[in-house]
Amino acid sequence: MLKPKWFYPSYRKDVGEWAWILHRLGGLALMLYLLLHIFVTNRLAAGPEAFNSTMKALSTPTFKFLEWGLWGVILFHAFNGIRLVLIDFAGASKYQKTLFWIAFALFLALWIPAAWKFFL
Amino acid sequence: MKRKFRIFRYQPDKDKKPYYKEYEIEIEDGWTVLDALNHIHWYVDGTLAYRRACRSEICGSCAMRINGKNRLACKTQIKTLGSGTIKIEPLPGLPIIKDMVVDMDPFFRNLEKVKPYFIKYSPLPEEEQLQTPEERDLINEAAMCILCGACTTSCPSFWANPDYLGPAALLKAYRFIFDSRDEGGKERLEIINDRNGLWRCHAIFNCTEACPKNINITHYIKKLQNLAVNNQF
Repeated sequence: MLKPKWFYPSYRKDVGEWAWILHRLGGLALMLYLLLHIFVTNRLAAGPEAFNSTMKALSTPTFKFLEWGLWGVILFHAFNGIRLVLIDFAGASKYQKTLFWIAFALFLALWIPAAWKFFL
Repeated sequence: MKRKFRIFRYQPDKDKKPYYKEYEIEIEDGWTVLDALNHIHWYVDGTLAYRRACRSEICGSCAMRINGKNRLACKTQIKTLGSGTIKIEPLPGLPIIKDMVVDMDPFFRNLEKVKPYFIKYSPLPEEEQLQTPEERDLINEAAMCILCGACTTSCPSFWANPDYLGPAALLKAYRFIFDSRDEGGKERLEIINDRNGLWRCHAIFNCTEACPKNINITHYIKKLQNLAVNNQF
């Protein structure tokens, strides 16, 4: 007998599985960000010069771009989180696809225009 | 009309590894995927193995992965699958015995755990037990399940952890817990209120998408989760 695999990337993904994958990856990204955030805040303990130099290193275009990405992850995770709460507690399973597209639209509407704030 | 089929092949007595084999056959209007498999098995390649029985979407034998998604071969009209090559694979997440034939034991073992039968402690009534239409409505959809396994084997939680009861077993639990005639609700709820039970459902909805009977399985799992939480606190 052939053993089963633990994941089948080729399985046809519908809205629900995409939402789950993005939600999980987003959650991991947010956790990594929190670690970085704690590290950066902790630089305050090393005195103003150390903190300022860290902050300077973090204001490069690469980090600006990552920051904008972070804002996107937060938005998606938050709106899809509300969708999941509605599915869990409000019996909204039947409307999960509509809810996903609403969450996705809200995420895009707040994320794309925000680029202007981050880059200009 | 000619159609190409790309079919998963694995014969344990001669193949070390599985591979895909292409068949091009003449199909007729109105054929389902099962008709095409039968044609290949009868006239082209008799070594092709797959399960089938009723060919009218009620026995649940011919569940397989067609174009990436779990479906019943007998319910899937070839016409609905676009114009490209049709890919046929066994159900994911279960050991493969030969070609499309998978070992369903893990699936049925999980089903057995939720006690999928009526439990009655009070004395049996002399006559049949009637239900009101409202009581019946609660379980109407859930009782339509044909145990084909398309849902459980489409679930990423089940792929990663075969000890997870899976959507089919949880749906069966719902069907009895919410049945006004059954008296085993409490013990069933205790069984499924477990880290390998209810709480491994992450609302991915693959089960609902795969169900050939269009049962909104996730909805019922969520109802059970709510019941478990409300019972506890």
